[in-house]
Amino acid sequence: MKYLMKAYWWKLLTVILLIYTVIGGFLMPAPRLPILNETIRILHFHVPMWFGMIIMFLVSVFYAIKYLSTKNLMYDLYAEQLVNIGVMFGVLGIVSGMIWAKFTWGESWSNDPKQNASAVALLIYFALIILRESLQDDHQKARLGAVYNIFAFAVLIPLLFVLPRMTDSLHPGNGGNPAFGQYDLDSDLRMVFYPAVLGWTFLGFWMATLKIRAARLQKHLDYE
Amino acid sequence: MRKTLSFQPYFCPMDQIIALIKKDLLVDFRQKYVVAGIALYVFATIYIAYLAFNNVITPAIWNALFWLILLFSSITGLGKSFGQEAHRSHYYYYLAKPVHILTSKLIYYGFYEILLVVLLTGIFNLFLGFPVENPSLFLVNLLAGASGLSVCFTLIASIAAKSDNGSHLMPILAFPVIIPVLLLAVTNSRKIVFGASLADISGNLWVLVCFNVIIIALSFILFPYSWKN
Repeated sequence: MKYLMKAYWWKLLTVILLIYTVIGGFLMPAPRLPILNETIRILHFHVPMWFGMIIMFLVSVFYAIKYLSTKNLMYDLYAEQLVNIGVMFGVLGIVSGMIWAKFTWGESWSNDPKQNASAVALLIYFALIILRESLQDDHQKARLGAVYNIFAFAVLIPLLFVLPRMTDSLHPGNGGNPAFGQYDLDSDLRMVFYPAVLGWTFLGFWMATLKIRAARLQKHLDYE
Repeated sequence: MRKTLSFQPYFCPMDQIIALIKKDLLVDFRQKYVVAGIALYVFATIYIAYLAFNNVITPAIWNALFWLILLFSSITGLGKSFGQEAHRSHYYYYLAKPVHILTSKLIYYGFYEILLVVLLTGIFNLFLGFPVENPSLFLVNLLAGASGLSVCFTLIASIAAKSDNGSHLMPILAFPVIIPVLLLAVTNSRKIVFGASLADISGNLWVLVCFNVIIIALSFILFPYSWKN
């Protein structure tokens, strides 16, 4: 994170990757599949949101653990802002998923286990934000926030990756549905999909670094 | 021969844990109205359900109601586990290790949860019946689910107790993280109500038990941090 806050090359890379994603995502050839048709192009915007969210939550847990072992409030700031941006990505992921579902599954919300799990995941992280707001002391906020953050992530993993696989789901890769990458993610899509994941995730980190900078400036102003 | 010190500090961890459990028991014994209040809460909730669902209850609804009422009465009962003597907790910082405190709380509130389950099942049986095809398996699954509830709520209560309005925060923090446990337990329970055997639910039951083990391990890692002030 410290390195990311200083370096510039990855921001340039983000811009290039995202321009490529938007142009390539809308204009490059996509497979013609029944039901999905052209809506498959939302893949480059919907799925990377979840990748970005999970990666940001993971890094946030890393900094939560680091805070607990060093008691350095800087790490807590990293953890906090990464969770905020991760939650934003999660909301965008759910909304884009609902739009996609409306056109392909017929309903925005069709009681799909993965939809439910991601909604619960967001509930958990909203609870974390509320917990932090309810505490006044900076160190107490950081410590209890870190404890809940680690606990929440440990609950999140089975919730998102184990439980949906045990029941039938409309999502690919679950309960008898063909997995990602077997036939529906063909090489044309891959050409855009992997850069898209990278680009959106980098964008999330970029936003988090900006938020961290803003929070640090705010703290400086408060002390003066 | 000179007598050694008559006052011995607690060295053996088991002694300390037993003393802490006794202390919790004493606190509850002195404030009997808290326990009585929880019993009344369970009774009143079931009675409301009985009046509201009069004659329309099916086994599937019975199962959902059972778990819902168990969830709410557990959160009322276990939410108090750390808030009850917050003003005295400074003594315990110096007297006891956090690990021993957590162990004693987990044991005490584990028994507490079992009592709650027994009470709940008894009253449910009285008013709403017990339409379960395989009662012993139902109890095994109930025990696995309830232990998950009690461990998870104990850790969350230790976090919520640090806040000014912990009683409001408790359900907000606890409900989202308990959903995986609840989801597995309720699904199992529904299958059992309709006559599933052990082989049908063993997969889910194992996941539930593993999940409980993960929560217990995490509690022991995280509790020292949420306990210190």
